[in-house]
Amino acid sequence: MADPRKPRPPFAPWDRRELPGAFDVEESARRVGHYKWIEMKLFEALGGWVATVPELDVKMRLGTHCYHHAWHAEQWHKRLPELREMNPDRLTVPPNDEMVAFIEALTEPEAPELTIEKLVGVYRVLVPHKVAAYTYHLNNTSQITDAPTIRALRFVLQDEMEDWRDGEMLIQSLLDTPAEVARAAEHQSKLEQILVRAGGIAGPGTIGYAIPAPEEVTA
Amino acid sequence: MRKFFPVEELARDERFHTITMRDRMADPRASRNLNADQSRRSSNRLSPDRKDASDAARSMMHGIFVGEIQALEGAGRTCWDFTTGGEAPFALKLDMARQAWDEARHVEISVKLADWMGTEIGQFAENTVLFEAACSHDPVLRLAGVNRALEGLAIDVFTTMKEFGDLAGDPYLEFCEDWMLADEVTHVKMGSDWLRRLTEGDAERRAAALEFQSVVDKLFSYGGTRSDSDESIIGLARRFRHLAGFTDDEIDEIADVSRQALEEAKERKRRLQERAAAGAAG
Repeated sequence: MADPRKPRPPFAPWDRRELPGAFDVEESARRVGHYKWIEMKLFEALGGWVATVPELDVKMRLGTHCYHHAWHAEQWHKRLPELREMNPDRLTVPPNDEMVAFIEALTEPEAPELTIEKLVGVYRVLVPHKVAAYTYHLNNTSQITDAPTIRALRFVLQDEMEDWRDGEMLIQSLLDTPAEVARAAEHQSKLEQILVRAGGIAGPGTIGYAIPAPEEVTA
Repeated sequence: MRKFFPVEELARDERFHTITMRDRMADPRASRNLNADQSRRSSNRLSPDRKDASDAARSMMHGIFVGEIQALEGAGRTCWDFTTGGEAPFALKLDMARQAWDEARHVEISVKLADWMGTEIGQFAENTVLFEAACSHDPVLRLAGVNRALEGLAIDVFTTMKEFGDLAGDPYLEFCEDWMLADEVTHVKMGSDWLRRLTEGDAERRAAALEFQSVVDKLFSYGGTRSDSDESIIGLARRFRHLAGFTDDEIDEIADVSRQALEEAKERKRRLQERAAAGAAG
């Protein structure tokens, strides 16, 4: 065994974590507040939809995923005071009005024959955007100073990836005809456009690029 | 999506046949079946020595299966129906989401158990009374009706089924029922704790909630199905109810309500027999 009194470097040679990160405390807290808001909206919607879907397998998955997102909301709720936000409700807000409009459009379908729309909104639009936002945060925040957020992000992302796959497989199993494929695509496009206007789940700059306003694109 | 979903619109595939509590109460077979062959048995409790044990156990398992679906739907709706903070605390909604996951697992377990016991989905009618108890516009009443009364009944049912599995030499059934029982004790305790917290300093609201629970308890005891008496198919699981936060007085009260329901059912049966005898004589 090596001499225990011999000085060793504080970071092992394989530990390449760096101090610099893209977010200060306030920015990390702002993003986490938006994450909590969207996770709350999602678990509430999934819970509400359980009674409205006739497909037994979908009903059970929605109940399971409902808890996953509630647990994510709880993680972000607990993280906020650690980021100097002693009133977590203050930052538990949508990034802008477009995000509110997105949630209204996402949760609009209720009828039992609209399972495709319900699933497409969650698993082809919202969950992929969450994966993108969480991955961006994970890869850009300080690996040392913001380690608690990183730990939560990793657990949350694991759920998101598995739920995404679950949801996508359910959607594929429900799409039998060209008309149903068109329905799914149309609904996805409608919701995606609103989310693009919102700039992502944490607003413009969610994944680094501040998405230009439509008038700038056309100019 | 609307707030507060009507029970008659619960989404089901074509295999399911739903009936309301009113339909069940209007069915005279419910009274006739009580103690149908009591003269040949000392107990009416679900046990393997009953001649109809297989059918009775299958029927009960299907009832558990559809009950779990409705419990899942009820917990999910509580996440959606109430605004966070204003109407229901954030932590309560997190608990309801957790319960939704637990109930989803119970649906998975009970559908596999039903298959194991040789039952098909839809073989028995689905009584929607459980979801009706979850339709209240006051979250406190939902906790009383669902988490304390309904989930309390689930404790009694799972205890009975666990004992049935043990007596019948079916470790698969006993194992699964024991796991579900653990979750139900958690749900009832959750309901007891939240009921106490949400009605702190509001004696009137607490009394209304407990009264609602009593009404639902009696509804679930309809026909004498569940009581301390061996004449009931399902027993009252006193030990597990203790673990779930019920006091001795509360358990005694449920026992009284259940006994009363049993006596009423026997009285209904006696009247039916008299009417039948009079008809035969006339």
